[in-house]
Amino acid sequence: MKKTFLLSAITALLLLACKPERLVAPGEPVKALNGSWQIIKATRNGADLTNRFDFSKFRIHFTDSSYSIDSLVPFIVSRGGKWAFDDPTYPFQLSFTPTDSSRKSSPLLYPVSAGQRNIIITFSPGCSLNSYQYTLQKAN
Amino acid sequence: MKPNNIWSWTWKIGGAALLLIIAACSMTIDSIVQPASVNGGDILPVTLNVTITTNTTQTSNFMVAVLVPKVWNASKNATITFTSDISSGDQGMTLIPAGTPAPQGGGLDWPTLLATKIGNGGNLLPDYEWVAFYSNSSYSVAGNATIHATVSIKIKTSPDNLSFKLGYCVANSTDGLSGSDRYGSYFSSCFQVNGTGDLIDFCNPQLANIDPRTSLDNDIITLTFDGGVTPTTLDNATSVYLCVSGITDTGDSLSVCEQTNRTKMRPLGLNKWQIDLWPRKLFNLPDNKHLTGLRYYFTDAAGGSKVGYGGGSLPFTYTFKCQ
Repeated sequence: MKKTFLLSAITALLLLACKPERLVAPGEPVKALNGSWQIIKATRNGADLTNRFDFSKFRIHFTDSSYSIDSLVPFIVSRGGKWAFDDPTYPFQLSFTPTDSSRKSSPLLYPVSAGQRNIIITFSPGCSLNSYQYTLQKAN
Repeated sequence: MKPNNIWSWTWKIGGAALLLIIAACSMTIDSIVQPASVNGGDILPVTLNVTITTNTTQTSNFMVAVLVPKVWNASKNATITFTSDISSGDQGMTLIPAGTPAPQGGGLDWPTLLATKIGNGGNLLPDYEWVAFYSNSSYSVAGNATIHATVSIKIKTSPDNLSFKLGYCVANSTDGLSGSDRYGSYFSSCFQVNGTGDLIDFCNPQLANIDPRTSLDNDIITLTFDGGVTPTTLDNATSVYLCVSGITDTGDSLSVCEQTNRTKMRPLGLNKWQIDLWPRKLFNLPDNKHLTGLRYYFTDAAGGSKVGYGGGSLPFTYTFKCQ
């Protein structure tokens, strides 16, 4: 009798111990661009222009939905305006809509390099046969 | 190593070498018919007379490749056919897509392998490409046979005014470019297209050039002065500056001819100088104005020595275009 009671009690305890754990998948953070970004690398048709042309003063300032540009260089747009991702969680395109012209989009890469988030955009500021790739990093 | 082992390896290596020699076709381009020039936009007709000599039975596709200016877009604008002793009527050929590994090419695709093994024929501007085609059918050839083929190449040229050294190569889909006797190649002398715009001269060293060749005024353009091409009054200059006029779409001429940091060229050595500039910024263009072209010289620090086209007093010219 005692043995039966003990066995039942252990079984009940074991069953109670098997409470299912609720696993919550970690969410992909929404990508944010807020802040000022500078050009740290620039190529034209694959040729590195970074140290050949003065990109040092260029800044693009992103807020929640707007952007402005200082010290313009050949870029996807020439004026400030609104910006948007195609998908805020998994963005593959970054679009710019200047106040005075239509929207322009660039393929977007969003890698982390040496602990710093970079954004890489590809576009043609002049002739469409020429492809430029700029790597932007947050300016201090 | 024991004598028996040495003999065993000698036989193995010798046998493999013999097999390679036997299982091969050799190809030569015997003669070529190509005009010295065509007008821009016309079709360039070329005929190659090819001899293929076999040592053993082989089944392969025939390969023909051409070295052409990129601006011709030959992958879309070229048609290649051939006739031969072992086929009946015109045989079609199809573009080999870039990225398709060439046989015995170490993983390289045909355009890369051709550029590596056969070269660029001495063209001095980098805007050229090899474009390769395979026959639509494969052909079985008997051993110890000699086969003649006549290849007909038709390429629609672009309207551009250019001179270029055309290149041709024939090979097969088994041997690839694995040995110098397995393929035939030929480079022409300077071929001329009498087109429109500034001459794009692949054949002669250029005293000055602008990269990219096609650009608009909102691009970053690179001007290079190569004083090593011919003696000029800037041969002993310690610094070189750009003196440039921008021609606008309304016909105005805007000039930036000063010896300051914004026109100073960086030395590349061997009397070669270079500057990268953004034309819209250099000429402070308002939004509603665009440049159609540039006229430019190179000067010394004092501005007294001025070098233009061919080292003379006329300016170099550049036309902004995007096609």
